Amino acid sequence: MKDRFGGNQRRARFQALCQSLRPDLLRFAFWLSRDRALAEDVVQETMLRAWKAQDSLLDEGAAKPWFLTIVRREFARTFERKRFPTVDIDELIRSEQPSLAAAEEHELGELRTAIFKLPDEYREPLVLQVLMGYSTAEIAREMNLSGAAVLTRLFRARNQLRAMCGEETQQDPPE
Amino acid sequence: MMDHETYRRALLSDPHSEDAALRQHRDTCEQCAGYTERLLHFESRLERALQLEMRAPAAALRPGRDRPGRDRRDGHRPGRLALAASVLLALVVAGAVWLAVPRASLAAAVVAHMAGEPDAWNTRAAVADPALESVLKNANMQLNASAGVVSYASSCEFRGHVVPHLVVQSAEGPVTVMVLVHESVSKQVQFDEHGYRGVIVPVAGHGSIALLMRGPDARIDDVEGIAARVRNAIVWPR
Repeated sequence: MKDRFGGNQRRARFQALCQSLRPDLLRFAFWLSRDRALAEDVVQETMLRAWKAQDSLLDEGAAKPWFLTIVRREFARTFERKRFPTVDIDELIRSEQPSLAAAEEHELGELRTAIFKLPDEYREPLVLQVLMGYSTAEIAREMNLSGAAVLTRLFRARNQLRAMCGEETQQDPPE
Repeated sequence: MMDHETYRRALLSDPHSEDAALRQHRDTCEQCAGYTERLLHFESRLERALQLEMRAPAAALRPGRDRPGRDRRDGHRPGRLALAASVLLALVVAGAVWLAVPRASLAAAVVAHMAGEPDAWNTRAAVADPALESVLKNANMQLNASAGVVSYASSCEFRGHVVPHLVVQSAEGPVTVMVLVHESVSKQVQFDEHGYRGVIVPVAGHGSIALLMRGPDARIDDVEGIAARVRNAIVWPR
């Protein structure tokens, strides 16, 4: 997205891009942080960083993964800046109950609570795959893992979710 | 030959995998075909669970607000704040529009259901009348001949309800029709996911109908035309 346009036009295009991507960025940040207010902060900071670095976005079609990478880094920076106390999952679930409750289906609320309980290393690739449509190779690149490691984490993520929801499970693959 | 466990582990890693070996196993193993369908239903729920509604809180309009546990460095940069405020104001407006639009998750669930019944697309001949009547009767509805040749009819479980899953033959190719009495949408929704193109059409007082074609040649205009035809051919109970 090189600056071929005037300042106003450039800003308008950037705003339009942010508008279209914001819901997904917010969801991704929420599932990373399990904290709606923190997710809002991370996405806000992401947009500011993206605005400053927009010359490095050469292809507008690749904007979503570009923004998601910034969200991940910003989220990591947040934890570097401030050491948060140990996470109490039950307290997190209680505080985010309005987000997790699904008016239309009780089962969805149960599943969202189960997703909250997944370890970070399983929850993140699952969200990237299911919500963001990333392939195994793309997740591997983003998370700096091997393809096999990504597949193992995805297997464990679904297997643990299914166990928490009372669904049939499979044995862990041999290491 | 792949064993059940290997197949199921691979499927748990990627339920929408197009891997030829996985497909071959599924096509020849009834148990794993059933497992696949159950997993795809779970996957559809998972997709909907992750698609949280993200309403923009009023606090989003105050970029410099204090938050416990966060270093707020932005307060000393008014230029950045002005930019953030203008961007976020636009986002709140867009968010309101976004929240008014029907969610894509219903379309995702319809597409996920397709993967569980790949054979439905393969028959061209009309399904036997008693089989079709049985499916329609389960849904308490009738279908006029103007809908076209129905080559597949099944009563399927979909998001907690039994719904008619039909395939109607058209000049443009087979079209899958799912009659979703329990799924209301406020306006027509188009979707293009995993090689399927389709529409979900609202039906006043009777939920909605989902129609979709598959493959790169599928055109949304064709699907919409067939949707109108099928919708007019359905006779709802009085």
